[in-house]
Amino acid sequence: MGKPTGFLEYERKEASAVSPLCRIKNFNEFHTPLSKEEQQKQAARCMECGVPFCQAGMTIKGMTSGCPLNNLIPEWNDLVYQGNYEMAYRRLHKTSNFPEFTCRVCPALCEKACTCGLNGDAVSTKENEMAIIEYAYANGLAEAKPPKVRTGKKVAVIGSGPSGLAVADQLNRRGHSVTVYERNDKVGGLLRYGIPNMKLEKQIIDRKVKVMEQEGISFIVNANVGDNVKASDVLSKYDAVILCCGSSNPRDIVATGRKEAKGIYFAVDFLTSTTKCLWANNMQLVDGQYISAKGKDVIIIGGGDTGNDCVGTAIRHGCKSVTQLEMMPKAPDERAESNPWPQWPLVCKTDYGQQEAVAKFGHDPRIYTTTVKEFKTDKNGNLKSVVLVSLESQVDKKTGRKMMVPVEGTEKEVPCQLCLIAAGFLGAQDYVTKAFKVDVDGRTNVSSVNTNSFATSVKKVFTAGDMHTGQSLVVKAIRQGRDCAREVDEYLMGYSNL
Amino acid sequence: MLQINNPILTTTDLMKIKSMKVPGLKAETVPIIYYKNTSLEKAIEHLFVEVDRVNREGANIIILSDRGVDENHVAIPSLLAVAAVQRHLVQTKKRTSLSVILESGEPREVHHFATLLGYGASAINPYLAQETIAELIEKGQLKKDVHAAVDAYNEAVINGIIKIASKMGISTVQSYQGAKIFEAIGISTDVIDKYFTGTISRIGGITLKDIEEQVDMQHSQAFDPLDLDVDETLDSRGQHKMRSGAEEHLYNPATIHLLQLSTRTGDYNTFKEYTSLVNEEDNIRNLRGLIDFNYPKKGISIDEVESVDSIVKRFKTGAMSYGSISKEAHETMAIAMNMLHGKSNSGEGGEEDERYEIGPDGLNRCSAIKQVASGRFGVTSKYLVSAKEIQIKMAQGAKPGEGGHLPGKKVYPWIAKTRLSTPGVALISPPPHHDIYSIEDLAELIYDLKNANKDARISVKLVSEAGVGTIASGVAKAGAQVILISGYDGGTGAAPKSSIHNAGLPWELGLAEAHQTLMMNGLRNKVVIETDGKLMSGRDVAIACALGAEEFGFATAPLVTMGCVMMRVCNLDTCPVGVATQNPELRKRFSGKPEYVVNFMRFIAEELREYMAQLGCKTVDELCGRTDLLKVKDNCKNGAYGKVDMSAVLNNPFEGEKISYENKNVYNFELEKTVDEKILLKKLSSAIKAGKPSELTVDISNTDRSLGTLLGAELTRHFGESLEEDTYRVNCHGAGGQSFGAFIPKGLTLELEGDSNDYFGKGLSGGKLIVYPSKEATYKQDENIIIGNVALYGATSGKAFINGVAGERFAVRNSGATAVVEGCGDHGCEYMTGGCVVVLGTTGKNFAAGMSGGIAYVLDEDATLYKRLNKSMVSLETVTDKYDVLELKEIIKEHVKATGSVKGKEVYENFSEYLPKFKRIVPFDYKKMMQTIVQMEEKGLSSEQAQIEAFNLLCR
Repeated sequence: MGKPTGFLEYERKEASAVSPLCRIKNFNEFHTPLSKEEQQKQAARCMECGVPFCQAGMTIKGMTSGCPLNNLIPEWNDLVYQGNYEMAYRRLHKTSNFPEFTCRVCPALCEKACTCGLNGDAVSTKENEMAIIEYAYANGLAEAKPPKVRTGKKVAVIGSGPSGLAVADQLNRRGHSVTVYERNDKVGGLLRYGIPNMKLEKQIIDRKVKVMEQEGISFIVNANVGDNVKASDVLSKYDAVILCCGSSNPRDIVATGRKEAKGIYFAVDFLTSTTKCLWANNMQLVDGQYISAKGKDVIIIGGGDTGNDCVGTAIRHGCKSVTQLEMMPKAPDERAESNPWPQWPLVCKTDYGQQEAVAKFGHDPRIYTTTVKEFKTDKNGNLKSVVLVSLESQVDKKTGRKMMVPVEGTEKEVPCQLCLIAAGFLGAQDYVTKAFKVDVDGRTNVSSVNTNSFATSVKKVFTAGDMHTGQSLVVKAIRQGRDCAREVDEYLMGYSNL
Repeated sequence: MLQINNPILTTTDLMKIKSMKVPGLKAETVPIIYYKNTSLEKAIEHLFVEVDRVNREGANIIILSDRGVDENHVAIPSLLAVAAVQRHLVQTKKRTSLSVILESGEPREVHHFATLLGYGASAINPYLAQETIAELIEKGQLKKDVHAAVDAYNEAVINGIIKIASKMGISTVQSYQGAKIFEAIGISTDVIDKYFTGTISRIGGITLKDIEEQVDMQHSQAFDPLDLDVDETLDSRGQHKMRSGAEEHLYNPATIHLLQLSTRTGDYNTFKEYTSLVNEEDNIRNLRGLIDFNYPKKGISIDEVESVDSIVKRFKTGAMSYGSISKEAHETMAIAMNMLHGKSNSGEGGEEDERYEIGPDGLNRCSAIKQVASGRFGVTSKYLVSAKEIQIKMAQGAKPGEGGHLPGKKVYPWIAKTRLSTPGVALISPPPHHDIYSIEDLAELIYDLKNANKDARISVKLVSEAGVGTIASGVAKAGAQVILISGYDGGTGAAPKSSIHNAGLPWELGLAEAHQTLMMNGLRNKVVIETDGKLMSGRDVAIACALGAEEFGFATAPLVTMGCVMMRVCNLDTCPVGVATQNPELRKRFSGKPEYVVNFMRFIAEELREYMAQLGCKTVDELCGRTDLLKVKDNCKNGAYGKVDMSAVLNNPFEGEKISYENKNVYNFELEKTVDEKILLKKLSSAIKAGKPSELTVDISNTDRSLGTLLGAELTRHFGESLEEDTYRVNCHGAGGQSFGAFIPKGLTLELEGDSNDYFGKGLSGGKLIVYPSKEATYKQDENIIIGNVALYGATSGKAFINGVAGERFAVRNSGATAVVEGCGDHGCEYMTGGCVVVLGTTGKNFAAGMSGGIAYVLDEDATLYKRLNKSMVSLETVTDKYDVLELKEIIKEHVKATGSVKGKEVYENFSEYLPKFKRIVPFDYKKMMQTIVQMEEKGLSSEQAQIEAFNLLCR
């Protein structure tokens, strides 16, 4: 199997990206995949390891290494190499419900743990995955396959993010009748509105949702359980209820003027408004229908992926300047000795938004070890500037933990009319947890009866995804959804074949 | 009688048998399926009734068939059905009156077919496997004609079976059929006694009920009990190549990472994280996983326990040859083990000369253990003299019964040089040692090697199997000082899959048996017992020690510390971390350091000390054999694990007795009584000291074994390979004993007037041997046997002139010596890889079998050699090339001069008359390589460059 010397013969080659200055003119995905022949060569680089680290999904030092779905990566890489995309799709689909999402938004844990990456460049597994799933759609392989027999059991899934969709897909496959409740106007959760269109075009979600509907899943949108839909009604109507509402409380920042100043938004609201506006207006932005960064000095608090998404979005709005604040020091450009393969590489990654900022403004938008100390407003209460302060690392004497503390005298005022907070999320929203009366843990995530279970403290109520684990990756949410579905199936039927 | 060519039948074959209308033959199909959720036991009973019925009605070919599985029917596992029917027929005395054919969807791997034949099936139709091939072709996954592909599959299966049978010393499928030469692990006595009678199964295991449940479970996966949709794609079992979430592997991403991290950073805490994964309480993956320590109430302080420095001296690295692993990896391990005063093992690929000396960087790269395996690659006098321990490999834990196999593309010029073979030509170690056919032969080899280096310990490597205790006792009596019991889960990435997964047994079983048998026979204090096979933690070592081992071998773990990530491509030469490859580009990636291996060994010792302290043992010797300190884990006494009966491992009648290996107990070889010690060394000592030539004459008798070997070793120690030919001459009269002139180096010549026993010139290392009949003999020299069997086995260089006929297996595994003989028995020049053999007479059968290098000239006066030649690897041609003619003539001239041979003289003097009758036998691949090298040299390349270029051209 495979090409034993592929990794010696071919260099890694990736899909080409539209140049930054060009792509910021719209909100479309901007990668052109390799040709089929080129992609096959890339797949030939896979070494078919005896012990594939790429699919291990293990935790090292609190970080995941390898695919949490245990995708059968060496197998489908080989099949892509052989040009057998049909079989490759079947092997991929066996462990992954939504390759079309992960191949776009996943940070590719597989590639970070790829043995090829130990000496050279990793196999381009993520793009191979995309080649497979897009081939499958183009060739009718990914079409609806409704179950032949129905069990007569009714299941409700609350939330239509990646974990909710995964639970729904799995349980429907088993023949249960699944209804998915979504509080927003469209299905997808964070996939829909948390991730900007240029990273995941929304028709990709629609395409899958349509297949799922054809397979028999009902989606009810604008149905906010715990608000306009009663939890008790849901509980009485279904044989099992799975809560997949995500970790939706954005982490706020404590700074003078935070409450008063107008012009401070959470990243998720900012991104949501843009995507909603685009899709309501034929991919055009219409003033007044979204939170605009146009002509503004934008400061983004948070150096993670969402912060980067905000940078890219703000630039597309036509901002005057953009600055991204990161509390931690800059990570090294290459793996530190203490951070060897196959650990998640703690390196400085310059993502698409930051590349665009460099192209547009001539410099990296990130400032490290810095945060906002104070928000200042004009006389109308609109944000006009922020006071930045440098941070330094100190060890807390009580807990022994490392903390970042402000350094007196390093304050600096910079103009800012729009500030976006991309500092992550904390726990499940309590209107849902209270409505279902499920126990939550110290971090307000919904807890399960034991570590390997998804059953909550309430009978027939289960939970999965970020709502259960706290904020995490799409790929992990899918895994949660799959595992949860098995438990629900067993609960409903007494055994599970999932 | 119905004759079939291959016991693996195509569906067409089976149809023919089913519809055969031949008087006296009647085939009848008996289904081996039964209703789901009914009793498997009853189903088997019913099967017997059915078999009896069709037999009574005249059927004498019974086709057991599992066709017809559907949502209501499940199949009796095919092996169980076959074995049960076989046993029933034997018991009711009907077996010889009929044949059993199996038609089943189950068998697919070679092992399945081997066991089915071994338990009594006459033929098998693996219809599902064959239909799967057809499907692959239909779907374009395999590009081949269906019939050709199925035939190829059937052919591969039968070849696999033949290979398995040959490992057991069986040469026909008929003898293998029903022979039941298997050992079971994990099957209960009830099932064994009832259906697999006579099979050894020492630790109990699953019952018929469990088998029934497994059958049901699998069936339910395919046919949902409620008829719901099921996932029909096949699961990846991850048996060979790991798959996360499937079958567990001890070396998995987490353990590999932690082991590498801990040994690289030297952080013992990280190492403990690693061992906690290896030793996971509830996750039982091997026999030792079922064992717990029976801690005494009070342990001792860890400060009282033997030091790490002292413990690591008992540690060794596994035998991995230079060739299978890279120079960098091989040397790193040697340096590390020498730093620790432990021992690294050369493996069977020889060692480069420069490593025998301490390097200019002060590092010692010399492997302390030098292995002598059946291939005898690079086993020279110098090699043996450089050893602290010489290990005779009788078998390999992961692939018992098989020899090593180095694929041609890994035989780079530098490997070929060390192994004294040809670049690019695959090297196959023969399964047996050609000089060992009995325990006496092994004793002789031990004696020979002791003579070749009297300061070295002689170790014998055995594999865990039922009866290893008896073998170990024999080995102890034969003079070995170390006995290694090798377990099955040691890993060689290059071994055939069927061997990795289906051959060998856990060391726990073999070790316990060997230890107890040696105790019982009062031999335990004469030997040191060593064990290896996936020793991964201090806990593993502590258990091995308590079961009776005193020394410990590690192979995979040190490789992992040096960068191995268990790619399992050792056979492909594509190891991406430069460990198991010879590719210069990949070798550059090697990132291992001796310190990592040192850290690993020290960490293991440290963890062992922790256990020893808790167990109250101050020294390893105190812990050795203390099975009373072991018990079955509490959580393994019930449930599935409770079915395993550990008494074969843990019940040790000698558990209190102290083991004290001391020098005084060691086998006495009585070397002081040899001719070498009594006469040769004494008389030649002053000449050797002065480095002056000398000559002497002795009378010998056939009780003088390994004559000249002690002297030869002494010469090697003094002069290496620097002596001129004939510097020291010993003229002997009488009958030579076994192993006359074994391993003698260049500069020593033994001339014998008389005759000699078996193993004449074994491992000849540059010396010269001359033998001719007594001057008074009246018989014809060229028609009578003058030396015994297996002469020049494993000779690496030197010359031998034999004025007479040699016995069987002449010059087997010769890799560089030049020899003239006037006739030889069967299997001459087998597995030869180099050198030149001239036969001035007839040869026996199977001449040049497996010969991959060197040249043989045979005087084929009646032109019948082609009948006796094994032509699979060599070509037979006349001698035409002028250099060849010259070479041949020169050799004969030298032979005549040395022996005064009548035949030789006749040929020499009438050379042009005899020349057309000579046949030149040369291996195909060797010839091609040699020609390419010559072409390269003609282009002006140096001989070394020419070899590399030729290798690159032909093999890469």
